[in-house]
Amino acid sequence: MAVARQVGPVAAFYAVFFVIPLSTLLLMSFWSMRGFDVVPAFTLSSYTESLSSGLYRTVLLRAITVGFGTACIVTPAAYIFCYLLRFTFPRRAQLLVDLALLSLFSGYLVRIYAWRTILGREGILNSFLLQLGVIQEPLRSLMYSSPAVLLTLAGLLLPLAVLPIFSSMVNISSEHVEAARDLGSRARHVHLRILVPMALPGIKVAFALTFLLAAGDFVVPSLVGGTQGVMVGNVIADQFRGIGSNWPLGAALAFLALGAGMLVYLAVAELPRFMRRAR
Amino acid sequence: MIGRGMLARGYVAAVLFYLFAPVAVTVLFSFAASPRLSLPVDGLTLQWYQEAFSEPLFLDALRNSVILAVVTALVAGTLGTLFSFGLLQLQRRTRNLLLTAGLLPAAIPALVLGIALALFFREFGWLPGLRNAAIGQILAGLPYVILTMHARLETFDFTVLEAARDLGATPWRTFRDITFPLIRPSLLGAVLLTTALSLDEFVITWFNVGSRQTLPVLIWGLMRRGIDPAINALATAVFFSLTALVLLARLFGRRSA
Repeated sequence: MAVARQVGPVAAFYAVFFVIPLSTLLLMSFWSMRGFDVVPAFTLSSYTESLSSGLYRTVLLRAITVGFGTACIVTPAAYIFCYLLRFTFPRRAQLLVDLALLSLFSGYLVRIYAWRTILGREGILNSFLLQLGVIQEPLRSLMYSSPAVLLTLAGLLLPLAVLPIFSSMVNISSEHVEAARDLGSRARHVHLRILVPMALPGIKVAFALTFLLAAGDFVVPSLVGGTQGVMVGNVIADQFRGIGSNWPLGAALAFLALGAGMLVYLAVAELPRFMRRAR
Repeated sequence: MIGRGMLARGYVAAVLFYLFAPVAVTVLFSFAASPRLSLPVDGLTLQWYQEAFSEPLFLDALRNSVILAVVTALVAGTLGTLFSFGLLQLQRRTRNLLLTAGLLPAAIPALVLGIALALFFREFGWLPGLRNAAIGQILAGLPYVILTMHARLETFDFTVLEAARDLGATPWRTFRDITFPLIRPSLLGAVLLTTALSLDEFVITWFNVGSRQTLPVLIWGLMRRGIDPAINALATAVFFSLTALVLLARLFGRRSA
């Protein structure tokens, strides 16, 4: 069986290193802590503790809000960028997409570090504004605030949103768009009735990707968000690497976050169909 | 219409500025004499590069990162390409099901994959280290290889392979002389992508690499300690090396395509 030999290795790899580990994590979320040890005794207490604690609810909600906010900024921004590349600058489009992707090469952590250099108290933006005389003393609120977190996350994720949206726009012919324009459609109409529906698969992927990656991030909140910006990812990571760690609790939080994220995504993904029906 | 064109140009320029501002800052401060990381820059220096490359931890991290990138690219590239070939010989429904399954790890946050693997390795007594990190990176890289290769192979003309076989070519010869040259540009793209992802992978690696260093793990440690211009020097070196690698691969891929 040639097919089995070709598909088999990945299937085996996923079975061992993807399915079993995730199942172990799921199982772990139902186990108990006794002192500092995890004991295989079934309990729902990690889930009840996560849901009843105000802190855990807050960090979960914040992760979802930040993820949703980032996706809502990045997806339209990437859509406009791709639209302009595809229909206004078609000859430079590929080069400009490559350029956007090139920014990824400076590294995920390093770009976060650079935003700290820009937004910090003695950072570039503050020293620039001071020299211009716009402000008299450095703004503290540039960093360790939710706008800073959104700004950093959006910058990190924008190139990743450009990729799927652009590839779903490549196949839309410019004649389609011109025909609609010639028939007197307004710009808003061309976008809402023609371009967005045709590029919808790519837009959905872009939204899901940015939402997922922003909501699950724990590096940006801890480096740019400060203590007020802690998100569920930080709490989960601490349950596994920090002092006084609690693996079952971390596992339960991870699955609650996954479930909540999936619900938000489904709600957003079903929105276009719902709106069409309403119309 | 002129106003509109200006607006479009302005928007594209603003997006690129937003994306490259952090890159520019990194490159600029890797050469800045003062370690303060604020403007104006007074004087240029190569001191941070010297510091970065003479630090024993840096060299160790660089070596480990390169090892992980090579292993990840080779294993994920081979397995993912094989998988994509296998998919095409299946019926549409089974194929789509397996394709979705193959892409699934990309839909799970790296944090969850990282802790799930760390737990798994602990339960089975595999001590943290480069091996565990490599497995995590392969898992994270496979969906991207599968996605790229599947898109390419969908338009692949399988009749050439049959023709070669009918003319008496052995499977190995068919692969070497026909299949491989045809898929080389996409394969190269997939492998490069995996290499870049691996070099930049932090979360899964951090949970599974134990006390070993990789570039992102080391940078994370330095970042938490405070400001260190050597980070900028290191990042600039990595950025230009990766850019050069991709440009070379493009050139090489285009000539042979």
